[in-house]
Amino acid sequence: MTTTNRKALLISPELCIGCRGCQTACKAWNQLPGTKTVNRGTVENPPDLTPQLYNRIRYVEMPSETSVRWLFVNQRCMHCGDAGCMKICPAPGALYRTKEGAVAFDKDKCIGCKLCVEGCPFDVPRYDEKGKIAKCHLCFDRIAYGLLPACAKTCPTGAIRYGERDALVEMAKKAGYQKVYGEMDLEGLGAIYAFRDAPKIYGYAEKPGIPESVVFWHKVLKPLSYIGLGGVVAASLIHYVAFGPKKDEEVKKDE
Amino acid sequence: MTNHWVDVKNADVILVMGSNPAENHPISMKWVMRARERGAKLIVVDPRFTRTAAKADLYAPMRSGTDIAFLGGMIKYILDNNLYFKQYVVDYTNSSFLVNPEFKGPGQLNGLFSGYDPKTRKYDKKTWSFQMEENGIPKKDPSLRNPSCVFQLLKKHYSRYTLDKVSSITGTPKEKLEEVYKLYASTGKPDKAGTELYAMGWTQHTIGTQNIRAMCIVQLLLGNIGIAGGGINALRGESNVQGSTDHGLLFNILPGYNPVPSASIVDLKTYIDKFTPKTKDPKSVNWWGNRPKYITSYLKAIYGKAATKDNDFGYAWLPKLDEGMNGSWLVLFDQMFKGKFEGFFAWGQNPACSGANANKTRKALAKLKWMVNINLFDNETASFWKGPDMKPAEIQTEVFFLPAASSVEKEGSITNSSRLAQWRYKAIEPVGQSMPDSEIMNELYFRVKKLYQKQGGKFPAPVVNLTWDYGEKGPDGKIKHVDISLVAREINGYYLEDIIDKKATPPKQLGKKGVLCTNFVTLQADGTTSCGNWIFSGSYTQKDGKVINMMARRGKDDPTGLGFFSGWAWAWPVNRRIIYNRASVDPQGRPWDPKRAVIKWNAAKEDPNTKKPGVWEGDVPDGPAPPLAMEGGKYPFIMMATGMGAIFGPGLADGPFPEHYEALECPLEENLMSKQRINPTIKLFYDKASGVPEDIYFSCDVRFPYVATTYRVSEHWQTGVLTRHQPWQLEMQPQMFVEMSEELAKEKGIRDGDKVTVSSGRGKLWAVAIVTDRFKPFKVAGSTVHQVGMPWCFGWQYPEDGSGGESANLLTPTIGDANTMIPESKAFMVNVEKA
Amino acid sequence: MSNNAMVRKASSFEIVNHWALAVSFFVLAVSGYAFLFHLEGVGSVFGGFNQMRAVHNWAGVVFAVSLFLTIFHYLPVSLHFTSDDAAWFGKAGGYFSKRAAVPPQDELNAGQKLYYLVVLAAGVVISASGIVIWLRPWAKSGILLSHLLHNISFDLMVIAIPAHIYLATLANPGTFRIMVYGTVPLSWAKKRHAKWVQRMGF
Repeated sequence: MTTTNRKALLISPELCIGCRGCQTACKAWNQLPGTKTVNRGTVENPPDLTPQLYNRIRYVEMPSETSVRWLFVNQRCMHCGDAGCMKICPAPGALYRTKEGAVAFDKDKCIGCKLCVEGCPFDVPRYDEKGKIAKCHLCFDRIAYGLLPACAKTCPTGAIRYGERDALVEMAKKAGYQKVYGEMDLEGLGAIYAFRDAPKIYGYAEKPGIPESVVFWHKVLKPLSYIGLGGVVAASLIHYVAFGPKKDEEVKKDE
Repeated sequence: MTNHWVDVKNADVILVMGSNPAENHPISMKWVMRARERGAKLIVVDPRFTRTAAKADLYAPMRSGTDIAFLGGMIKYILDNNLYFKQYVVDYTNSSFLVNPEFKGPGQLNGLFSGYDPKTRKYDKKTWSFQMEENGIPKKDPSLRNPSCVFQLLKKHYSRYTLDKVSSITGTPKEKLEEVYKLYASTGKPDKAGTELYAMGWTQHTIGTQNIRAMCIVQLLLGNIGIAGGGINALRGESNVQGSTDHGLLFNILPGYNPVPSASIVDLKTYIDKFTPKTKDPKSVNWWGNRPKYITSYLKAIYGKAATKDNDFGYAWLPKLDEGMNGSWLVLFDQMFKGKFEGFFAWGQNPACSGANANKTRKALAKLKWMVNINLFDNETASFWKGPDMKPAEIQTEVFFLPAASSVEKEGSITNSSRLAQWRYKAIEPVGQSMPDSEIMNELYFRVKKLYQKQGGKFPAPVVNLTWDYGEKGPDGKIKHVDISLVAREINGYYLEDIIDKKATPPKQLGKKGVLCTNFVTLQADGTTSCGNWIFSGSYTQKDGKVINMMARRGKDDPTGLGFFSGWAWAWPVNRRIIYNRASVDPQGRPWDPKRAVIKWNAAKEDPNTKKPGVWEGDVPDGPAPPLAMEGGKYPFIMMATGMGAIFGPGLADGPFPEHYEALECPLEENLMSKQRINPTIKLFYDKASGVPEDIYFSCDVRFPYVATTYRVSEHWQTGVLTRHQPWQLEMQPQMFVEMSEELAKEKGIRDGDKVTVSSGRGKLWAVAIVTDRFKPFKVAGSTVHQVGMPWCFGWQYPEDGSGGESANLLTPTIGDANTMIPESKAFMVNVEKA
Repeated sequence: MSNNAMVRKASSFEIVNHWALAVSFFVLAVSGYAFLFHLEGVGSVFGGFNQMRAVHNWAGVVFAVSLFLTIFHYLPVSLHFTSDDAAWFGKAGGYFSKRAAVPPQDELNAGQKLYYLVVLAAGVVISASGIVIWLRPWAKSGILLSHLLHNISFDLMVIAIPAHIYLATLANPGTFRIMVYGTVPLSWAKKRHAKWVQRMGF
């Protein structure tokens, strides 16, 4: 990713109080409807991202030395620098990079192939009832006008902060996080996380990556498709010049 | 709050006990987190591991209803280890006062203080008094060694609260208790600040007031009152609860915390004599000594020209309570249940879900002839007659619904927990036929007044004499539209005559006739000033002929960095951001902690008013008097007649020192602290002889073996009337749940997500089980006690498919605090079974 | 029979079906490249990528059906390998020498058999994986594998099919008319499929 002055979200589960203002603010800004849910024996709801839910809080309960730990982790599009969804997407302009570095989408241009769902290392994109992509777009329609993304705007504790990516990385490091999740991965994530512990505790892979088959496809199969075609055409031409066509008359001579 | 929201960031240790700010006051956590970023420690004490606990540096579980035992242990720890702030305790609290030698405590009297009468369930407080010098000033022993002094009595009282005993009562492991005590007591140093955040987790108990008193004692011992990052801070559960109590919402207080008179207080003089505290100590400001000014100005505000010196300023028209009458929520609905009411205005409330023992409340509503429900939405109260177990054909209550405008559809002020009155503007027009509350009141008032004028009636004077100058009148005499700013001005008060300070030489004009009052200092007791609420005097004022709405100010300067933002809106009293701030400085006026100076005495600068050297700098001080040690110096606790922080508090119904009693419904046969199981002064609604089954309670009963508590959730507003109609909120929190430990769930064969039935002596409901490690069984008195918790934000009416469930208040008992009658909905007994 | 006489090499049905295959493949390949390389110009020919996706999917159906219809004739023939095939391979089909004599062949030579099998295999895989990507019958699993196989098959096909086109046109003049008339001059057939001519008794 080459965007300069890249913007990002710094998400700090240590500061998150699980109030879910972000969930609601996102719905308010994006005019997304509420869906019918049930209580599944947890505070967490809805149970997963949906086409009507671009970000949500995951509640992770785990034992600790003294009693229990309860982590609140904001789940959303990571706005990867090297975005698997963009890589695999066959429709130009359906997924695009804003000048702030967000991975935004255009439902009109989305062809509904849903390959982005597969290309994503974080299982983020969802598709709506028309089969079109739905996910966090970093409020591209707010940040373009200098406003904060709705989630960051509403977050009372600064658990979701928006700003210059470099500055946010530095801020997290200053706050004592030696490693900022997503600082380097996938050419740098656009949603970086200040994790106190191993990422897997928070539900994230230690080394996130675009699926290998997608990488292979991108690096080998895609070029092969034109090299192969071009090669065959070229070979045919050469052959034609070198050996010429098979002529029926020659049959006689040969015989 | 003694302090204010932003000030939490200044604390070194934050004790969250009796509240759950992360879930119920999410914005406040901004300041908690700021403090933590500075290195402050957060302690959470709660029966359940809450979202706040998830952020804590130290979490201690504690069985519901045992806060006094917990805090009593802390007081003992502080005293035993000499961790109190000695100078503060001696100079600024009543610790040195000598108490009546006849006074006896629960240690001597088996759980009772001296003076108890079991028949009336009341104390004769004669012995809860101070020994007086000849000159009428309490006797003191600044060495704190006199066995009759408050300090020694305190020590003796809490000597019984040993770690073993406290742990056995609260179920908190001993080492956790010690950890909490040690960490919190670390704020007893002059340059350390500890704050406490509480809410309904402390108040909704039969010992609610004493829970808070216990913390006041801790804070006074540690010198944490009056300082930045200190105080004892009530987190208000609604944006304007502070405002509503300030303005006389409760049955027993008039606006500005003036008591509502009882019928036996026949005239204003008697009222003033009874409620105006006196002191002979020249160093005590005794601010309530100004009561005559405030009550008289109040009467002038509400009755206007009709209030004259000759008619006692209309005092006779003020509503009076019958002797001993209690008009609190529980009693109101008890009386309604007994058929004592004809009509009821349910204004901006949903008692069918919000009140304790909601089944009884719902039955009570059926006894009414009429009910007017004023709300944004239909709710379980307005539609009670078609609710579960109701037979609409048999209910005669006629229900009227008046749609009210929401807060963004009207202009006016709200006062938050910081005592900060903020002016808000109308964003959009009210929807449909809905109206702002003030307009609804205007319509009602005009009609009721007209009826009185036409037909007379038993007592028309209070209605027909009421001032109602809130806008332009139409031809029918009705105010066309209420100008809310005129209400705000009436609250602020006017000079009705030129006010001259005759004591000054030369006499000085304090106020000009017809002008808005500067502040309450210039109010008069002779009817020459009006003021609707003295504590708000100064909120809407006049300077150089220009009217200024102080509440509408939006200044963002914070020169001290302590977060006063003194130019932002306006805080009562007189824009003081931290009250009792004279306690933040030593007797010479030097801040205990120079890095966090709330106020400081600058002796070099000249006072522009008095032209004498020396001024206070910083926050608005608690009075302009110089520091205590100087000539004319005053004690810091100006609202107390003695001027001292009350470690010994004889004002309450249930004792001058908080004592642990069990909740009305508890899992124990006996109080481990004394023979007195429950608070001896609470009003019992039920007895076997004359009680109704609706009021029944079960203590230590195998049918209801588990302790229960109720709470709110971030996702819903109070009973959910505003949020259950909101699909975004419902999506996050769709259904009634009950949280319980893995251990209890295993015992009962309940799995996470199962539907269970929760029942108490008053009702039952279904809920989804949330089985979690965040609840743990308590080891109490050697045995295992389980606790469960439920929210009260759901109701049968919405969602319409009934998928939401019911309010936990179907289960809570009809019993209240001995002082305030706030219902005990935070500790009661239930059973849980798989549905 | 005169060498100038015409013998029938393909039935009318085969001609139609082959064109169906050829046209659908062309549409699929062009749109496929447009998807791969975001060729907006190509997309606009279809009236946008959304329409192009629909065309691609339905052209795929045509392709799959046509491919299926070929198996009755060509699969048994192509699976029947003989010593002639080895001989044909031994001379590389005679394509790399102006003089090399190719042993007499039956209806299909080894190259043609191999080509058919490759195209059939790739065609089956590309069709099946295309349907998985399109309809997502197993929700989440298998899509990435299908995507991979779809593209591998695509690469195979865009190599094999142009070669086929070259060999059937420029490299062997007179061949193309099979796709128009279904017939070829006997001389053409004798040269290329002597055994077939003999067997058929032309």
